[in-house]
Amino acid sequence: MPVVIAATGNKRRKVRFPSSSHTATAQVEKLETRNIRAHLPKSSRTPSISALKYHQSLGQGIKMVESTTHPTVPSLFKELPAIRDALITETTELQSETLNKCLPFLTGSHSSQKDPLNRYGVPPLKRDEHIGYLYDSLEDYPSGFVGLDASRPWMVYWALAGLSLLGEDVTKYRQRTISTFFPMQNPTGGFGGGHGQISHCASSYAAVLSLAMVGGEEALNLIDRQAMWKWLGRLKQADGGIRVCEGGEEDVRGAYCAMVMLSLLDLPLTLPPEAKAREHGLETFTSGLSEYLSRCQTFEGGISGCPGSEAHGAYAFCALACLCILGQPDVTVPKCMDILLLLSWLSARQYAPEGGFAGRTNKLVDGCYSHWVGSCWPLIQSALSGTQTAAVSQKSAVGNLYSREGLTRYILGCCQSPNGGLRDKPGKHPDSYHTCYTLTGLSSVQHHHYHTDSSATSNKDFASAFSWKHRPARTSNDPGSDVNVFDENDCLKALHPLYVIPHKAAEGMRLWCEMKPL
Amino acid sequence: MEGKYVSDPEWASIQPIPLNDGSETGAMPMATIAYSDDYIEATSYLRAVMAANEISERALKLTEDIIFMNPAHYTVWIYRAKIVFALNKDLLEELEWLNGVSLKYLKNYQIWHHRQVLMSSQDHFPTLPPKEMDFLMEMFAQDSKNYHVWTYRHWLVRHFKLWDSPREIADINSLLNSDVRNNSAWNHRYMLRFGPRSDEPDGGMTNSNGPPSEKGRLAVVDEDVVDEELQYAQVQIVKAPENRSPWSYARGVLRAGGRPLSEWTGFAQKFVLDKREQGQLVDVEVKSSHAVEWLADVYAQDGAAQESTAAEAVRMLNLLKEKYDPIRRNYWDYRIQMILGQEVLASA
Repeated sequence: MPVVIAATGNKRRKVRFPSSSHTATAQVEKLETRNIRAHLPKSSRTPSISALKYHQSLGQGIKMVESTTHPTVPSLFKELPAIRDALITETTELQSETLNKCLPFLTGSHSSQKDPLNRYGVPPLKRDEHIGYLYDSLEDYPSGFVGLDASRPWMVYWALAGLSLLGEDVTKYRQRTISTFFPMQNPTGGFGGGHGQISHCASSYAAVLSLAMVGGEEALNLIDRQAMWKWLGRLKQADGGIRVCEGGEEDVRGAYCAMVMLSLLDLPLTLPPEAKAREHGLETFTSGLSEYLSRCQTFEGGISGCPGSEAHGAYAFCALACLCILGQPDVTVPKCMDILLLLSWLSARQYAPEGGFAGRTNKLVDGCYSHWVGSCWPLIQSALSGTQTAAVSQKSAVGNLYSREGLTRYILGCCQSPNGGLRDKPGKHPDSYHTCYTLTGLSSVQHHHYHTDSSATSNKDFASAFSWKHRPARTSNDPGSDVNVFDENDCLKALHPLYVIPHKAAEGMRLWCEMKPL
Repeated sequence: MEGKYVSDPEWASIQPIPLNDGSETGAMPMATIAYSDDYIEATSYLRAVMAANEISERALKLTEDIIFMNPAHYTVWIYRAKIVFALNKDLLEELEWLNGVSLKYLKNYQIWHHRQVLMSSQDHFPTLPPKEMDFLMEMFAQDSKNYHVWTYRHWLVRHFKLWDSPREIADINSLLNSDVRNNSAWNHRYMLRFGPRSDEPDGGMTNSNGPPSEKGRLAVVDEDVVDEELQYAQVQIVKAPENRSPWSYARGVLRAGGRPLSEWTGFAQKFVLDKREQGQLVDVEVKSSHAVEWLADVYAQDGAAQESTAAEAVRMLNLLKEKYDPIRRNYWDYRIQMILGQEVLASA
């Protein structure tokens, strides 16, 4: 019988790159237990019966921790909302439970918060621990993690994007990134989640972005762009939308991921001749696409995964970012969306006292929405402000329409795990998904992103997508308005607001592809 | 290796395709998993049968084996759907099997897409199978806001044209009775009552491809349904006035009916009580921030004509900004500036 070549863990070493100031041995010791637990809590998202019982006894009562709270934390972030209904349902029980878990962290009184708080009562970013966590996350996982087998491209993307935010040079991973993605690419185009898995928009998105981050001729050359274009053509649907894989579901993830790849890889906008969608009169990838996205806006104002579902933060980002790839935000967004209705819904995603974002109405805050909802803000603000000239004048721009302070407090106070990695909320284990997306959210409060008329690429299709600039967000002079409650040395790098990788990586890939037209 | 496939004569004809993890290129691949021997073996056989495009009973069994080890393996689901149809399997049996898997793995895209693929076969399911909605209610008992299950249910409604099915509204009423804050149920209710029907492409609102401000506007309005639903929303709001869902729902209902928000001015005012002493406003008692927002919107619309009404709108927005929803301060400020016709200064 043939010998099956196993990727057995016991032959692998847990390689770690040394990072500035933490002890490597301590990290390695923790690795085993931490990683085993890291992804398990997904299954425990549903409320357990014990949690509900706990709350029946709790009633409206929330344990306050006034005696030990940090004096400079504003009451907004340590007191309950002014109005709370008497009627208790499962939703309010879960909300109360979340508040109980968050309040000690928001007030800086939780026993696990060992670092001194800054003058705003906010803990520092555990930079070294998060760097260590993300380096570890790229190594070998025990067999219990088999559920991640189709998500390995994501694991690589989350770690590389997170490390880039933290200022690490990820080009040292070039060879390992190439060897990871090489067997995942299918000759018929696109990348699957692993060897022998069919191509999927999500794994292809993660692969393309990871290769862009490590950069270099060999990495960029790995992608069979011609085959990618043909494969994407097979995903285009008669109603304008795009499937996530052949035979798979059609939703705004497919639309966003496909447009990210088409624009980064400078693929032709016309559909391949053999694309089925042509039989329905569609000629390009963008045919009917903005109409499809338009149908995903719900009566609440938010955007759903596919027409008719409930408005949801993650899909709102996919749809808005897709519209902003299609053209200028002040043109494409108001053309498809009732923008004031969208704005009202988006704004209602932020809760107090937690400060973080929830993905849907009457759901709980979760660190990952720091990106999904948080990264909608620069897009919608730009749609409202209009395109800025490359010169500095920002007078006509709308400012930040959400509370940067609140989001910062939630991320730094509630989402940091004591041993590194970031999490959904206190009581949850960290994982690389939440680490990447809470850090992306923290970066988005630290940088002001705006859209200009000056593109980093040649003036062709999608020039607008490469016209985003950023500068450090300043504390406003307006009393009571947003202040930067994070310390200078807690600043992260900026990511491109549409591609969610460093600007240089996105522009580098695009320019390289422009030189090699198909 | 003594795996169960290697030693099974039924599989003797298959040459498994071993895992290529990329390490042959010289560099260590990342985020690798130390797979169990069973998983390694089964997926090696999967690669082989898929490469040969094999449609067989043994391949079907193999997909089940892998699904039980890793239900997030999307490839195996798509392959399974193909086999099930090609072998003309009993789809009701497949659904039964799927029920067990669904209850075990609550958060999973693939399961629900697989179900939709099965159910979309007109040949097998010309009408809705009788137990389908019972099963969905069983799922909602585990997680009443499960996004995948709601998305599937919405698809079912459209596929089988169930908008007016008594079962649909009965289930929604029952879910809202147990938790009036279940926003997923409110969304489904809106789609039943006011969503696009067969004459339009699907969308979160009717007329979705019209001008954005006219999205949701029904071409033909059944005023009785609008009145009924507004009435329903009011009853639910009284139970818990700070619940955003029914307030948003009511906005959607009025939008569908082409009616103004001011129709509810009196109702909203019941939750925002001005306290006056000798004609002077001394305090405001607020029972719902959503009522304040509602009044702000009504006054802002009317305020274009009247300065005193605009001032009332600003007063409402300031209540939200200062006390009742201060985390959204910048948004309320933006709204105030829009009313005052001034530009919001950059605060970024």
